Amino acid sequence: MWEAIKDRETGRIRSNSFANRFKSRRILSLQLSNRKDFVSPHRGSVNSLQVDLTEGRYLLSGAADGSAAVFDVQRATDYEASGLIAKHKCIFTVDKQHENGHKYAISSAIWYPIDTGLFITGSFDHYLKVWDTNTAQAVVDFKMPGKVYRTAMSSMAMSHTLIAAGTEDVQVRLCDIASGAFSHTLSGHRDGVMSVEWSTSSEWVLYTGGCDGAIRFWDIRRAGCFRVLDQSQTQLGFRPPILKRTAVGSKLSSVAKSSLGGQNRLKTLQSKQTGSQSVKGSSSAKASVEKSRQKRIHPGMLSTLDRATAHYGAVTGLKATNDGMYLLSAGSDSRIRLWDIESGRNTLVNFETGRIQTNKGIQLDTSDDPALVFVPCMKTVKAFGMWSGRTTLMLRGHYESVNTCCFNSNDQELYTSGSDRQILVWSPGGTVEDEMVQDEVAEDKDNWSD
Amino acid sequence: MEGRDDGGGKVIGLIEKATKSTAQEVDPRLLKAIKSIVRYSDSEVRLSSQTLMELMRHNHSQVRYLTLFIIDELFMRSKLFRTLIIENLDQLLSLSIGFRSNLPLPAPPAVATTLRSKAIEFLEKWNLSFGFHYKELRLGFDYLKNTLKLKFPDLQANAARIQRERQEREMKTKEILRNKFDSLRVSFGLFKYEIEVTIKEIKECMEIVQWRGDDGVPLAILDEEDFEEIRCSHLRQIRLDSLKQSEKVEETGENRIVFDVLREQCKLLVTKHLISVQEGISLLIRVDVSDNRTRDSMLKDLIDIRNNILAAKKKWEEAGFTMSRMTDIHGNEETNEEEEDIWEEDDGKVKTDSVKNVAHVMRTQQSENSSLPSSGEAKKSTSEARSNKVSNTKKVGSSGNSLRDKLISEAPVMNWGSQLTNWESTTEVRANYRGLEIESHWGRVDQDAIIPADKIAELNLQATVYREERTETPPCRASLKKGGLCQRRDLRVCPFHGPIVPRDDEGNTIIQESPLDESENQTSSTSGTNQDVSMDETTSDSDPNQLARQIAKEALKNIREKDKEVVRKRAKLVKVKVKEHNHEVLRGAAIASTSRSNAMDDEFDRVFAEKKNKKQTFSTRRKKTTAKDRISQRLFSNRVKGTNPQQLAQGNDEKCRDTSANQW
Repeated sequence: MWEAIKDRETGRIRSNSFANRFKSRRILSLQLSNRKDFVSPHRGSVNSLQVDLTEGRYLLSGAADGSAAVFDVQRATDYEASGLIAKHKCIFTVDKQHENGHKYAISSAIWYPIDTGLFITGSFDHYLKVWDTNTAQAVVDFKMPGKVYRTAMSSMAMSHTLIAAGTEDVQVRLCDIASGAFSHTLSGHRDGVMSVEWSTSSEWVLYTGGCDGAIRFWDIRRAGCFRVLDQSQTQLGFRPPILKRTAVGSKLSSVAKSSLGGQNRLKTLQSKQTGSQSVKGSSSAKASVEKSRQKRIHPGMLSTLDRATAHYGAVTGLKATNDGMYLLSAGSDSRIRLWDIESGRNTLVNFETGRIQTNKGIQLDTSDDPALVFVPCMKTVKAFGMWSGRTTLMLRGHYESVNTCCFNSNDQELYTSGSDRQILVWSPGGTVEDEMVQDEVAEDKDNWSD
Repeated sequence: MEGRDDGGGKVIGLIEKATKSTAQEVDPRLLKAIKSIVRYSDSEVRLSSQTLMELMRHNHSQVRYLTLFIIDELFMRSKLFRTLIIENLDQLLSLSIGFRSNLPLPAPPAVATTLRSKAIEFLEKWNLSFGFHYKELRLGFDYLKNTLKLKFPDLQANAARIQRERQEREMKTKEILRNKFDSLRVSFGLFKYEIEVTIKEIKECMEIVQWRGDDGVPLAILDEEDFEEIRCSHLRQIRLDSLKQSEKVEETGENRIVFDVLREQCKLLVTKHLISVQEGISLLIRVDVSDNRTRDSMLKDLIDIRNNILAAKKKWEEAGFTMSRMTDIHGNEETNEEEEDIWEEDDGKVKTDSVKNVAHVMRTQQSENSSLPSSGEAKKSTSEARSNKVSNTKKVGSSGNSLRDKLISEAPVMNWGSQLTNWESTTEVRANYRGLEIESHWGRVDQDAIIPADKIAELNLQATVYREERTETPPCRASLKKGGLCQRRDLRVCPFHGPIVPRDDEGNTIIQESPLDESENQTSSTSGTNQDVSMDETTSDSDPNQLARQIAKEALKNIREKDKEVVRKRAKLVKVKVKEHNHEVLRGAAIASTSRSNAMDDEFDRVFAEKKNKKQTFSTRRKKTTAKDRISQRLFSNRVKGTNPQQLAQGNDEKCRDTSANQW
């Protein structure tokens, strides 16, 4: 670390890269934080976590007992063990006792992206409610046709305040806070919608993953979905090849370099086969690009294309990377897939997941600089390299299955919550201050009496 | 489990050996060996943690149980071991507690249950000791406790509860102490005063007794004319010893009353005051009050008082007056209750009556301290009177104006009986005092019936039957011609030798100054316990210049008469009043008197007529006497036998009695 600072002083490395290097080191040393505790007020599994997008300071959690709570991530309410352990109690909670609280489990709780004055909760009691944070009162509520599985608001929306809600129902509804009504009803899925994600590059694009295993892309300015992701449409590497005709991608995953050629051939062969089966199947990448262009031109998709699936089983989680180029999806087939948004292809990164929870929506998160994906894998949280799919971190702490991961890039902290009702903080360990405090307390030592 | 070749790996063998037993505990020697190996090598720690975790997966509860013991031993000691174990804490817990339904504890079930309870206990212990350092421990504990609702022994809460209970108890005692302190502060002045008075009384009593001891005996020795001067140091030593010995005062009949007072006060002091003072001191030491200054001053006072008490105690112990003796006497009291209790009864009578009479008595007797501060100090006054008497005995040789004698002469003699237990008590008595269930065929029985106090007094009224006193008629003792003395016993006149007069050994008559003294001598000649009196008598018998003595006595008497005149004048006004009062009372009494009392009256007349020495005033007054007076008179005449009448004292006594007796 001191060398890096020296390099930074001498100007050998840029400030940005210095910060990134520092951050990445911290992220790679994530461990269960002993010094920070969230005192969970929830009496059921915590289904949803989100740190607010404006300050990165307030953590919103929604739990199966119908309660939602807000925590201050940075300032502890009290301390234990002579300041060693910082206890974060919730600032406030809304639960069943609240006059217009949710009756059943809250499946999703998200912040209003513009500020922290509002938050939105979706619940199994068919309601989607918008809350005023300061008064802790519901200001708007939407009656949905079924259980709400997931809600999402666009982090970069400038011209609309629409809440996308995935429910039991096959239709995805967009609720307008401004008018208090459904502005859109997006039809296309054949089963309930477990996951909803707005694009991080365009405020009009919405991704939804359904229990039918399909991931659909919607442009809310147009009717119908414009793309259905097909797991069999693959591409090698995480970037679309720059040269159309090149069999070997110019930029390849460093991981797959060794068996590069053969694999690639194999994949293209597969895609050929699937392409031949389908009417519009094309063997070349170019053809697929053309096809997608055609699809964009034609608002109603052909029924054959419409049947493509991204996962075998339900799509339980969706997460778009922060640069807006890739989409991660988790399925009940215990797979994580990385999709190239531009091409709509499966990049074939093999994430070494064990099992993934199948019956419940999960929340993935990503970190930028070491490009990691945090995935709840039953009782553990695994961090995979986004391009390699290799497990870089395995975070064990929960005693029951983990539901959500939420990465706070400001502090390089990871918050996870699970069915054991806990919200755990994973913070960079082994820092200097940690050791200093450890010395001060000086209790945890060897104690050989004999 | 790959065995290591490089010197390490010993621990694996030891651990495996230790866990292969069927005992309830790990062999302590093996455990010690494991610990000593693990202590000096981190690699061994790692190895042992691996081995132990693998053993925990063993499909037998006994192995897991013993493994858990070893884990606990190492966990409590090695930090590295802790970190290694905590990485796999959830596994360890599921293997030892078996909370996951898909991973139940293996057979045998009995060991499995102990394993589970032990694991829970260990987890709590670990959480208490190291929970602050390991989030995982806290999480595991919290999960098992709050989510799975496992029953933990809850050591900390128990300890906290015990602590809280103790605190509450302390608070309560503090409160009690404070209350006691408040009450003590309120009553402190009175308390102090009481003790002071008691100590003062004891001191005075001691002085009286000591004075007698110090002064009396040596005086007696010095008075002896033929006592030659002590030159020899040895003799002097003996004398000093005897003097010292004489400081230890013997209890005699004379100073008995002082001793009684002393004894009582000492007992009060030791049994009540000393204890209460000690209590007060301990209370003040323990109590925690804001007002420290008063507390300190009170403490100081109390300590002073205690020192005073101890000093007084020491003093009387030096004087040979011990508590054991007191208790001994009290013990005696119980054995020969007959005497002692009657005596005590008299004493009680003295106490109560003296309060009323003392003022009068003291006024009539011209003692140095005629001014008595209050009747409340009756005790003190009795002791002082006693001292007066003692001094009188020394100087004048007559101890007639003894208050005690006076009071004794007045006090009625009662038969021993149960009525004495509630003498003058005004409490009401329950009719059914035995608490028995009494059914009566006459009707309902009132269980709560109460007999009023005056009724009780009426029931306890003692009727005394007059018994003629057996006086021994003295012999005539006139010299016979044939030699010897006449042994005829007649009351007054010997048919052969004329009226009976006191005679000496040869049969010569002794000149008497008054017939009263003569008769008194006759009655009291049999009893002569008092040394002084006997000494007096012997001197009067043997002294040749008896006449001179008599003249001196008469002169003294005249002086006294004059003094009495003065007193009489002083008391004239009172007497007038008293006379009026008496008149009324006597009239009432005369009306109330019955034939029975008249008969008794006659009897009395006959008895007292025999005694010519009675004064005229007395005989005239006798007409108007009531039953009570008669009883007292009779008692007096009885008492005469028991007490030691003296020639001069008797007259004085009678005068004193007259003055006091003419008031009702």
